[in-house]
Amino acid sequence: MASQDISKKMYSVASAPLWHSGATLQKNMLHTLLAILPVVAMAVYRYGYDAVVVMAWAGFTAVVTEAVVQKIMKQAPTSDDFSALVDGLLFAFLLPATAPAWMVILGTAFMVILGRMVFGGYGGSPVCAPALGWAVLAISWPDLVDLNGMLLKWDLIEPLSELKYFGLDAISSVTPMSLLLGENLGALGASQALMIIIGGAYLMSRGLLRWFIPVSFLAGVLVAGSIYNFIDPQLYASPTFHLLSGSTLLAAFFLMPYPSSSPTWRLPMLLFGFFGGVMVIIIRTYGIYPDGAPFAILLANLCTPLFDLIQPKPFGGR
Amino acid sequence: MMKLRLNTSVEIKDTLQEVPTPLRVRIPIESKHKPVVKKKQILGRGQVIAENSTKGAYGIGFVHSSIDGIVEDILPDAIVIGPIPAPKEGEEAVAAPRPEPCSELDSLGNEELCRKLLEMGVDTSRFHATRNLVINGLNPEPGVLVSEQLMKDAQEVLKAGLQVLERAFKPGVVKLVVANGKQFSLHGCTTVNASDVYPATIDPLVVYAATGAERPDNVDVISISALYRIGLVATTKLPLMEAVVSVGEKVYRVPTGMTVQDLLDTTGTAYGTDWKLALDGPMRGVAVSDLGVGIAPTCTAVTLVQDGLYPPVQPNPCINCGECVLACPARIHPGMLSRYAEFNMFESTQSQHVGACFECGMCTFVCPANRPVMQYLLLAKKQLAAQDEAVSTCRLQD
Repeated sequence: MASQDISKKMYSVASAPLWHSGATLQKNMLHTLLAILPVVAMAVYRYGYDAVVVMAWAGFTAVVTEAVVQKIMKQAPTSDDFSALVDGLLFAFLLPATAPAWMVILGTAFMVILGRMVFGGYGGSPVCAPALGWAVLAISWPDLVDLNGMLLKWDLIEPLSELKYFGLDAISSVTPMSLLLGENLGALGASQALMIIIGGAYLMSRGLLRWFIPVSFLAGVLVAGSIYNFIDPQLYASPTFHLLSGSTLLAAFFLMPYPSSSPTWRLPMLLFGFFGGVMVIIIRTYGIYPDGAPFAILLANLCTPLFDLIQPKPFGGR
Repeated sequence: MMKLRLNTSVEIKDTLQEVPTPLRVRIPIESKHKPVVKKKQILGRGQVIAENSTKGAYGIGFVHSSIDGIVEDILPDAIVIGPIPAPKEGEEAVAAPRPEPCSELDSLGNEELCRKLLEMGVDTSRFHATRNLVINGLNPEPGVLVSEQLMKDAQEVLKAGLQVLERAFKPGVVKLVVANGKQFSLHGCTTVNASDVYPATIDPLVVYAATGAERPDNVDVISISALYRIGLVATTKLPLMEAVVSVGEKVYRVPTGMTVQDLLDTTGTAYGTDWKLALDGPMRGVAVSDLGVGIAPTCTAVTLVQDGLYPPVQPNPCINCGECVLACPARIHPGMLSRYAEFNMFESTQSQHVGACFECGMCTFVCPANRPVMQYLLLAKKQLAAQDEAVSTCRLQD
């Protein structure tokens, strides 16, 4: 009987849906690595071997720290999803190219432990890990993170420090084009503005980055910058300067949309981005740090649960 | 990122295909059905084999034999009917008693007609008299072509089905929803164009597209294949004995109970032992472990998925990326709900509106962490239902 032959063969079953979009964390992270590749190349071109050393230590330490902590926490190792490597590189992008190796290692380890592992690993963290790592270093060793002081061997200026300490006249020679091409001093990756825009555009074209947060963040920077610039153009820099200088663009495309620390609904994402953008300008104007972006990110991260309270009604709900 | 297109509308090239009558069928029955045949009983095509014990006009339909044959086995979920054995020497061949066409169908109306439809195998449980009616003319899922195939090849049957529906239920406004860019009109309904991209093809969203209201309580929705089944009963005046099933690129009229194995073999569909097979579409289908399963009259497709084509779904931790939130048509937070369910916080899933879930499967589909998101939601729903049941049982005992 045919039916008896059939019943011997059992087919594997699964619960619906049987299709999947094919997206995996590993693929997403590989695309992100591809997106930051131009930034890495430009950083090496501008800062040479110094940049290579910092990025290599950061990437290496991030992966190793994660693996060690996962071993201690008895979690399955996830080094092969490349999220630790991406975080390590993003963290390196915020540092000066001449940062000492011990500080890079220590900072990366803090970044992975405090920014990721204490919350259970990638995706559990309520704050953006690279920004958190930078904040730890900026508070602990301000002199070694200070871009102006650390990059003295290049005969260029760091626009944000100049603006902070010497006023608007000091940056009159800084053109938007030079900022785009990274021709001024700055954090090794964050100052490669054009390459970051290219990377962000690549991620958006692949559907891995939604436009909500980057666009609203940049809008926040532009609006707040324009307001100050409108109040007194002699005192406050133009919004374009703020948009292209420091780590504004890195924040817009890579740090603000950090998955676990940003809201998930559409309107909260827009508010979150806009709030972060405004905070960048406020911190740059009144704060003691030249670049307010990483602190603005952390502040916005802390408000994420509040933004996420704004939820739409479920379908058919009252 | 989405490599798979979730558009459901296609240009139908082939006509509706027929398959040869199988020798042996395994007709699925539900737990509410009561078998009314005995083992070794000789049956004619169209004879009732299981009844719904309800006396009312609304409920699941009776089940009928789709071939002439002999009852080989009665299982909890199916009745197996095989070929009649050749008569022994000296005995006369037993004639299989086939039912006569039911001529009453043209004269009855309202609840009487509804009851008659139920007895002839039509599921009337989802209809209510005098409500507005939305006909879902969108293909239900990507790769399932039944709706557009039937609208192309079975217009007369659909028209007859709609006329019977109008006599039985006296619906208010009748609207037909078809894919954007498609032209189709059915006797007396307003045609509405809507998106054909899954999950826009599922019933509540089609009702929303047609009426502009979310979950209105005065609208019934019927799919084209369900309308076709009613039309088939109305035109042949015989009980419902077939399903319209999409296999690969073609759509077949399949006798109910034909085994998946027979269907795949007669249609020449390639499949391997490491494939997953499901009844209905790829997003909501039920996977089968055994090719001996019979096709139910409501089945719309046999879906084959080669193993290893998609990343395996595993209980990975949620990474909070929010993709599921953007994909969810019910505007709930599947990721958060799945975590509540993962850690047995079922009360929280209720307060976070797990009840609004359509079970469309988009959350699992898009999840880059490859979590079984919808499966967690289904678990939560099941748990909540079980809790409610336990509570009501306690109250009864008081």
